[in-house]
Amino acid sequence: MKVNRFAIHSLRVAVAVWLVALGGWAQTAPTAKSANVVIKNAIVMTVTHGNIKNGSVYVKDGKIAAVGETVNAPSDVPVVDAGGKYVTPGIIDSHSHIALDDDVNEATSPITPHMMMMDAFDYQDKAIYRGLAGGVTTSLLLHGSANMIGGQAVVIKHKYGLGRDAMLFPGAPRSIKFASGENPKRVYGSRDQLPSTRMGNFAVQREALVQAQDYMKEWDNYNAKVQKGDRDATPPKHDLKLEALADILRGKLMVQIHCYRADEFLNEMAMAKEFGYKIRAFHHALEAYKVADKIAAENVGIATFADWWGFKQEAWDAIPWNAVMSMRKGVRVAIKSDSDDFARRLNQEAGKTMRYGGATEEEALKMITLNAAWIVGVDDKVGSIDVGKDADLVIWDGYPLSSYGVPNKVFIDGDVYFDRSLPGFGMPHYQEGQ
Amino acid sequence: MRSNIGRWSSIVRNNHAVRCPSSVVRENHAVPRRLSIVRKIEMAFALCAVLACGTVSAQTRSIALKGGKLLTITHGVIENGVVVIEGGKITAVGAVASTKISANAQVIDVTGMTVYPGLIDSETNLGLTEISAENMTNDLVEPSDEIMPHMHTADAFHAESALIPVARINGVTNAIVAPTSTDTLPGQDSFIQLDGKSADEMLIGRDVAMPLNFTGGERRNESWEKRKFPSTRMGLAAQLRQAFIDAQDYEAKLAEYDRKKEAAAKDNKPAPSPVKRDLKLEALLPYLHGKKQIVLAAEGPSDLETAVRLANEFKLKFILNHVSHSQPALDFIAQLKVPVIVGPIYQSPKPEERYDAVYSLPAELAKRGVKIAFATYDAHNARNLPYQAGFASAFGLPYDEALKAITINPAEIWGVADKLGSLDVGKVANVVVANGDPLDVRTDVKHVFIEGNEVPLTSRQTQLRDQYSK
Repeated sequence: MKVNRFAIHSLRVAVAVWLVALGGWAQTAPTAKSANVVIKNAIVMTVTHGNIKNGSVYVKDGKIAAVGETVNAPSDVPVVDAGGKYVTPGIIDSHSHIALDDDVNEATSPITPHMMMMDAFDYQDKAIYRGLAGGVTTSLLLHGSANMIGGQAVVIKHKYGLGRDAMLFPGAPRSIKFASGENPKRVYGSRDQLPSTRMGNFAVQREALVQAQDYMKEWDNYNAKVQKGDRDATPPKHDLKLEALADILRGKLMVQIHCYRADEFLNEMAMAKEFGYKIRAFHHALEAYKVADKIAAENVGIATFADWWGFKQEAWDAIPWNAVMSMRKGVRVAIKSDSDDFARRLNQEAGKTMRYGGATEEEALKMITLNAAWIVGVDDKVGSIDVGKDADLVIWDGYPLSSYGVPNKVFIDGDVYFDRSLPGFGMPHYQEGQ
Repeated sequence: MRSNIGRWSSIVRNNHAVRCPSSVVRENHAVPRRLSIVRKIEMAFALCAVLACGTVSAQTRSIALKGGKLLTITHGVIENGVVVIEGGKITAVGAVASTKISANAQVIDVTGMTVYPGLIDSETNLGLTEISAENMTNDLVEPSDEIMPHMHTADAFHAESALIPVARINGVTNAIVAPTSTDTLPGQDSFIQLDGKSADEMLIGRDVAMPLNFTGGERRNESWEKRKFPSTRMGLAAQLRQAFIDAQDYEAKLAEYDRKKEAAAKDNKPAPSPVKRDLKLEALLPYLHGKKQIVLAAEGPSDLETAVRLANEFKLKFILNHVSHSQPALDFIAQLKVPVIVGPIYQSPKPEERYDAVYSLPAELAKRGVKIAFATYDAHNARNLPYQAGFASAFGLPYDEALKAITINPAEIWGVADKLGSLDVGKVANVVVANGDPLDVRTDVKHVFIEGNEVPLTSRQTQLRDQYSK
């Protein structure tokens, strides 16, 4: 069977090459339809208002128009019978490094806030497809953790087969990646550079933010002069790096911090207060359970692993109860992948929280949908099955939060991007060789 | 079938072995707990008295796990069943209605629970690592040379590793400890039991098998500057052939020496000078003789066929490992009639493969009659072994086969099926009780028995949980 598929694959490549030779056909990727559909006969897990048995979801123009036991949809809208299967919102991966073609870390300086992940975004990476087949519809593609202040993230929808711009999440806010702890000190320390310690880490971070303050003052002074009518005022140099740092202080960038240890959460939160910016979430956050009340008090979320541990010293105190213990103290918790492997089965990772600490079904599901959407800053658009939200939906074979949950169909903006029952890759919008 | 590995092949012989009560022994660190399993009843009584390990009467007290759903593995599911454990062994398995429980047995009500044999992970690095990124805590592989058959994982196995209780309290009671796969011949595997006070107690079998890795990952080709032999698959194969030929020559020399020595003795002549011992070549001999099995690792079909050809040239007895990207060679694998340690199924497919190419591999192999076993190839995450089996069943592997692939199949593959892998009378009482389906991520393990001892459900992680839950 697999041999046949390879044969078909080769044929497709051959046909594609031939078509390109004929006249640039391959430039035109298929575009998504503006989708209307009713999914009926499903157990709808809304995330925000419980499960609806025998439920239906009406999707109009790619948005959720109605959800309930019955929905009023025009008779010409196509109907998908879910056959009693579970339907959830699309999974949101709040920490991913896929589709960056190994350009994850500009590890040449510990402060690189002007790196735009968008510039490295490789929309053809099959990891996007494999995540999609695991039910992931939105991912936050972050800079790596080599630098104290890394680069600016890109938020994508997993519309594999479409062009680059069609995969960008419209209107998603900007995020910037910070890192602390072992990674920056290892990267630069191994080169006998600053930082090689946690003191060095925080000094480098503070130094950068002070520079940003100075930069903003220079511009404020200049603008004040101009406003007073000073025509001879010389504008300061436009500096991409300082401009990006200034945007942190201006609150224009959501700060996502790679951080493991309890003491470092406290230091990062203190520094955020010192400079007047908000931390959106701590990522990895494996010791969050030790200071969860303090993290909750600052309304900082965490994007953590379900049970990964011991891979380095700062992951030695990781425990699988972290997510639920932190949640019970009021922390908004997401389970994220940080890996193209876990991204394919985040539903199972979330399921583990039901075992470790006894998360309810809804709490567990929230960790890979609505809470993750909040961390990414798109919770007004995705993350639950509510009227007005994007119709990013997954129909599951098996119970989604178990070892047996496997996506049957994945909808993004109401259109099917993955269908397990289809041969080949199972993607209506993609063919090999495209 | 007789255990053919290690401690159990020579020591565990009788069905009447008893042991000191675990609770007492655990408090007395001077007592070599494992000793008791090897004694007959009267010997055990005497031993307990000598070592002052408390009342002897408790020794014979059996444990009855009553009312659970028994996944026996070998003879189906028994609802409302009972498993009786005595003297470290399973002494009864059956329905509550038809199974006799002695009056003084300690009855543990496991109504609503699932009872199954301890799980066996067919490749781990348990005891060889503590913190992955901290090299001083790692004894995973010797990368200085590719041919290292004289490395014995048993020599590095760290019984006190904090990782072992973490795996154990999720029901993993036995595992293979293997070096990582940097070398073609990285050393020899051990078979462990995940409970004991020392390496000696936990190492059920030393040098039970030897990995032969041929995935391409063993090449020394990381950069043009650092490139050295063997930097290609040709180099890897040539080097392997030379190693086995050297071992054959070494053996011939040893035989020649014996012959000459005997002749010299007959003729009253001085003995010839002995052959210089070569540990590397000596380690290869049991494998050249087919006395122990090679664990032959390959990923893609061409590497697989090269590795099999090489193994056959030297008549090695082998099982297969990984084969994650050998989907085009499934029928070739099936006709070899050898077991396969498959996966891990979480390995990414190649770009040209469908998303479930590796997920569905166990099902495709089982469908062709191949005996499969799962492995985590990990240490920290060995506790997640059963989820791999569950996930494979979501991609077509029949549930019973999935369960067998972490119980009786590995027991058979590692030659301990007379002791492990099922709920059968006479087997070692490695028994797990959980509040649901063992293959599901939501299921919580409630009791773990290893050789009849109830293992406390604690680990460094539960201690941290409890400390910060106050």
